[in-house]
Formats: sequence, structure tokens, C-alpha cells
Amino acid sequence: MTGNVPVTYQEVFRTERGVVYQCDVSNRLILEFWDTHTQFSARDFAQFRRMVETVDIRQMALSTDAADDVEILALPRSERCYVLTLCEIVHLRELLNGAKLMLELNAMLRECGCSLTE
Amino acid sequence: MNFSPDTVNSMKDLARLRTSVKESVELALNQQIQMEMVSSSKYLAMAGWCDRNGFDHSAGFFYKQSEEERKHAMKFFHYLCDQGATAYSPEIPAIGQEFDSLRSVFEGALEQEISVTDSINRIISICRRENDYATEELLKWYVREQMEEEYIARRCLELIDQIPADQVYYLDKKLASVTYDGNVFE
Ligand SMILES: [Fe+2]
Ligand SMILES: [Fe+2]
Repeated sequence: MTGNVPVTYQEVFRTERGVVYQCDVSNRLILEFWDTHTQFSARDFAQFRRMVETVDIRQMALSTDAADDVEILALPRSERCYVLTLCEIVHLRELLNGAKLMLELNAMLRECGCSLTE
Repeated sequence: MNFSPDTVNSMKDLARLRTSVKESVELALNQQIQMEMVSSSKYLAMAGWCDRNGFDHSAGFFYKQSEEERKHAMKFFHYLCDQGATAYSPEIPAIGQEFDSLRSVFEGALEQEISVTDSINRIISICRRENDYATEELLKWYVREQMEEEYIARRCLELIDQIPADQVYYLDKKLASVTYDGNVFE
């Protein structure tokens, strides 16, 4: 999963299942999850996170309908989509929410003119 | 958590580079756009009801209100776009087309305005939490607008109580002429 990471990639958040990087050269957020690799603009990343957040996992868990075994999430501005099981949704949420928190922390630090290193 | 202070500190804030509006504010404003458009739709239904029941002046009043509400929505819409945020064209649910009486029409109008006022106030508290003074500034315009809208709806209900029921034509005319020119902030 993390074979050769480009030098411009900065790790935002990592879990056992995946990692989110930010590339300040391309202004992209990069999501690596299982064996997928997806690049997002900041806007698309937020939109995708909201999509993942709004999946009704209760319904997925309770339903006996085969269609509810997986959730299909179309990636913004792309032909591709994720086909995710309940378990994968939960893992993806953890990763995306962790990344969101770190990005917010970064924003807060910049906003108040603070720096962690000084 | 897995991050090194260095990393976070030297990283661009990509969301901020795109827009000055935070996600929570963007979400709230999009909900408000929807609410204004729902108001517009409700007022149009009220205008239609008044029109077909012979209350021509009240109909005119609500046609105008309906357009005003659309303008309120558009003001937010353009604001979001201008700030680099995303504005969504909202879904409007089906709304009631029938009313029991002229009084119930105006009662509905007042209730709608009160819920809009409450909603505007809630967004202001979100702005304060997020230190978003620009959006708060915009919302101040809506605060005044709501004072006016609530005043007018209340005054209309008063007139309905004050004017005898057999003077329908006079009442209708009177209702449509209610204005608010005493706003203490202006
Ligand atoms: Fe309005
Ligand atoms: Fe209004």
C-alpha cells in the first residue's frame, strides 16, 4: 500500500487500513484505502467524506436484501466508484474523519498564527 | 494519533485557499437557501389561494413576498459562489395549496417568518463559533429584514381582528398596504 510515496506527499492521517496524504505541489489530497489510490481536490474530498458519513449503516446491518450488503459510492469527477461492505465503510469513516480532524487542526493553527514547532 | 508537528505546521490549508467559508457555515447557508426557497413557494401558494378566493390585494402582497423570498435565497447563493464556496440549487418539497381562511393564510405567513428568524439567529451563532465575521455581517441584513417581515405579518393579523368581517373588500385592501417604516436600525 505504501510502497513508493512521492516526496511531496505529507501524511495527514493513517489507520491500519489506509492513509490520507496531502500534496502541496498539486494541491491534492490523496486517499489510499485497501489497494486503491484516489486524488481529490479539497472540495471533492469534503464532499466524498460527507457521502461516506451519510451512508445508512444501520440499514446495511439490518437488511436481508442482497442490495444492502454493499454500498456503491461514486467518486466525484470520476468514472470510478467504491463498492464497500459495512465493515469497509466503518474503516473508511475512521480514516476520513481522522484526516478531517488533522486538516482542521492545521487550519486552526494557521488561523491563530500559532506554530507547533516554535 | 499519527502526525508529527512539523508535518502539520508546514502544510497548506487547501480548504482555506479555495474559500473563506467554513464547511459548517457553507452547510448552514445552503440549508437557509432551501428555507428561503420553501418560503417563496409557500407564499406563491398563498397568493394563488387569495387570487382564486377574491382577495386580489392580498394576492398581490403574497406574489411580491414570494419574489422577495427568492431574492433572499439568491443573495445567499451569490455570496457562497463569490466566496469560492459551493451553493446548491435546493430541492423544494410539496407544500399545501389550500387554506381554511384568510386569517389562516396570514397565520401561516407569521409562523414561517418566525422559523426563518430563528434559523438566521442559529446561523449567526455558528458564525461566531467559527469566527466568520464576513458571513455574520451579511446575516445582519437578514436580521433587519426579519424584524420587518414579522412586524408586517403581525400587523396583518391585528387588522383581521380589528376590521369587521363584513368589510371584506376594505380588509383585503388594508392588508396589502401594511408597511414597516419604523425600523429602529434604519
Ligand atoms: Fe426571507
Ligand atoms: Fe420573509
